[in-house]
Amino acid sequence: MTALTAVRREDVAPAFNQELNGILHLLTCGSVDDGKSTLIGRLLWDASDLYDDQRETINKSSNAATGGAHPDFSLLLDGLVAEREQGITIDIAWRYFDTERRRFVVIDSPGHEQYTRNMASGASHADVAIMLVDARAGIKRQTRRHAAILDIVGVKRVVLAVNKMDLVDWSQEKFRAIEADFRELTLRFGFREAIAIPVSAVGGDNVASKSEHMPWYTGPHLLEHLERIPSRDVTPRGSFRMPVQTVLRDGLDFRGLAGTVSSGCISVGDRITDALSGQSAHVLRIATMDRDLEIAKQGQAVALQLDTDIDVARGAVISASHELPTLASQLEARLVWLWETPFEPSNGYFLRTVTDLAPISSLTINSLLDLETLAVQPSETCAVNDIANASITLGREVAVDTFADNQQTGIFLVIDALTGASVAGGVITAASQGEASDGKIFRLTRELLERGLCRDLGDSEDDRREFQRRASETALLLHAAGVQVKIEL
Amino acid sequence: MNAQLSHLDMLEAEAIFIFREAAAQFRKPVLMYSIGKDSTVLLHLARKAFWPQKPPFPLLHIDTTWKFRDMIAFRDNTVADFGLDLIVHTNEDGLKKGVNPYDYSPSVYTDVMKTQPLKQALDKHGFDAAFGGARRDEESSRAKERVFSFRSPGHRWDPRRQRPEMWNLLNGRLGPGETVRVFPLSNWTERDVWRYIARENLDVVPLYFAARRPTIVRNGQLLVVDDDRLPLQPGEVPQMKSVRFRTLGCWPLTAAVPSTATDLESVVAETLGARTSERQGRLIDHDQTGAMERKKQEGYF
Ligand SMILES: Nc1nc2c(ncn2[C@@H]2O[C@H](COP(=O)(O)OP(=O)(O)O)[C@@H](O)[C@H]2O)c(=O)[nH]1
Repeated sequence: MTALTAVRREDVAPAFNQELNGILHLLTCGSVDDGKSTLIGRLLWDASDLYDDQRETINKSSNAATGGAHPDFSLLLDGLVAEREQGITIDIAWRYFDTERRRFVVIDSPGHEQYTRNMASGASHADVAIMLVDARAGIKRQTRRHAAILDIVGVKRVVLAVNKMDLVDWSQEKFRAIEADFRELTLRFGFREAIAIPVSAVGGDNVASKSEHMPWYTGPHLLEHLERIPSRDVTPRGSFRMPVQTVLRDGLDFRGLAGTVSSGCISVGDRITDALSGQSAHVLRIATMDRDLEIAKQGQAVALQLDTDIDVARGAVISASHELPTLASQLEARLVWLWETPFEPSNGYFLRTVTDLAPISSLTINSLLDLETLAVQPSETCAVNDIANASITLGREVAVDTFADNQQTGIFLVIDALTGASVAGGVITAASQGEASDGKIFRLTRELLERGLCRDLGDSEDDRREFQRRASETALLLHAAGVQVKIEL
Repeated sequence: MNAQLSHLDMLEAEAIFIFREAAAQFRKPVLMYSIGKDSTVLLHLARKAFWPQKPPFPLLHIDTTWKFRDMIAFRDNTVADFGLDLIVHTNEDGLKKGVNPYDYSPSVYTDVMKTQPLKQALDKHGFDAAFGGARRDEESSRAKERVFSFRSPGHRWDPRRQRPEMWNLLNGRLGPGETVRVFPLSNWTERDVWRYIARENLDVVPLYFAARRPTIVRNGQLLVVDDDRLPLQPGEVPQMKSVRFRTLGCWPLTAAVPSTATDLESVVAETLGARTSERQGRLIDHDQTGAMERKKQEGYF
């Protein structure tokens, strides 16, 4: 079993206090038995920092499929007891491993049709997806479905691992044919990078080291390719956006808008605008507990102090003044229905963006997407695992971007007002201020609320939040009673 | 300025984001503080998330009365240093009935002295969200845990009620009777916890560092005798050995490892090069396969 010891790295002493070069989130998808667990297990075995007790367990195992010639690497990925008993993986599992250079997070999600929602939610966290196919079978309908889901949730890089090359005699011809199919398939989507690699997961060929069986393949092996991909925040491109999570004070003169930069970057002195209130100011200080920063970039959690006190609260999206998000109450969206309970037009729903929560006054399903043909079928209903095109009217305006413009501020969840469940996740394809034109909208104004429902509330931050909350809940109740509502505060 | 954020920077920012979201979305959160290294990191991140304010929630410690004395001293110092509110809760009923870690099986002991009092304390104070230091890499049943993990009435974890989590959108709208456990360290590994402790220069309980301590060997595990409550079996004579702990819990249930790592640097070096996963040192986990999973359904963490 020489292959097993060839690339073991456990004897390399890791550096003290070593920080790795970012985190790469990796989604694996394939049909059952294509070798997904074996491939990831093999990657862990060859290239990562496994503990000895884990190695021992694997060494003691043997894989019936290969006549016991190899240990069963898939055991490194065992799951919940119930699922183990059923023999299938139905949820998303997260695994972590380090190579010498970087942290990998493997997001393992089931590929079957009845688990579209699991795959979509798993994929939403991924920087890159490994799509697995069996070299004997090539691209399947399932592969197309997976590519479509990846594209919808915004995965920009895909790798096709053509597995079990040992079972097709390491045939270049077979691989090239599959590669060509893959090219054709990926052309239909918005991927930034798509590459095919011939591998044998059990033998470790082209997994974490170059295969000796396929000299005709001159591209990178899987790990080499993965280590080269930039981690998600490497380029702080795009417009500056920071959804405000909360406002922090020191009891003196510090008032910090706390949040994580979701795209772009911001420097001290830059002019920012809150699209919701329309107010602008300059950044006086970018504060953290450790030290003040000159510049904050995508992914950093900070508190911004402004030179003038503008009236900004949780839910606002602080933006570069010259590149504002859209203040929208009318959205066109593509969504994945995540919950067992189907869409019900009379239910109360909320729309959650990163930090805002707005009542939905109408949600209309327009069509469903067939993931294999990519054809749309008109439909007014939507149930679990469906991908739908929908129109959403909000009870008040929220600051958003389209998903094509900004992957961080172009996303949302639909929340069932009663149970709190996240019933759908979606991306915004178009956003506008436009109002439904029939005059039958009830305007829920500040005045109206102040007079009764909210008359016990004052002007403190807590009270203002409570005011918002009551307004939202009132809008939902009215909506449930069939009244179209617009909150105007 | 285009330098890549390191993986620790990314994990830190993610945890701060989670803390801020939870504090904004839930009515009355609490931080489950168990004094160990994960709690130390958790608390440090909570302080960062709300600085210059103090974390807007108290700490809750479930005291089984069998924690190492060093742990209790460390807890009290920490709370005093940072000016935090601490709630200590013990299952008085279990204590009266004499439930202890050596006469009772680990699962009964854990249920009576940890799980039940945790539920009692959460109910008593009406907390709707509890921050915990659990990590997905700790054990395979946790590999699927959500960042916001929902609990049905009675604190039961029902896999079917768990909400899908997409992108970084955290939905904290509670259904009737629901509460939530929030795990800001979900994506950290044991090694990250130590790297971060070293990077941020955090104080941890001295038991994590090697020192000569009175030890006995029981069931093949090295135990440090912290007081005279544990009845010794014939032939068990405490021997002074240089040992330290990888995880901390109730002392009769927590195995030490032989070590000479007396400072942070050598502990981190030892951990980064460690050959076995940390849970080997926690005796309750060896009950049976799926034990953690069952404990989770019962509300253990
Ligand atoms: N011959 C061969 N068999 C493989 C290879 N990779 C996986 N297998 C086998 O294919 C079967 C399914 O693999 P598994 O990893 O469990 O598939 P999963 O369902 O996609 O996770 C197992 O019997 C594996 O041993 C490979 O590269 N070559």
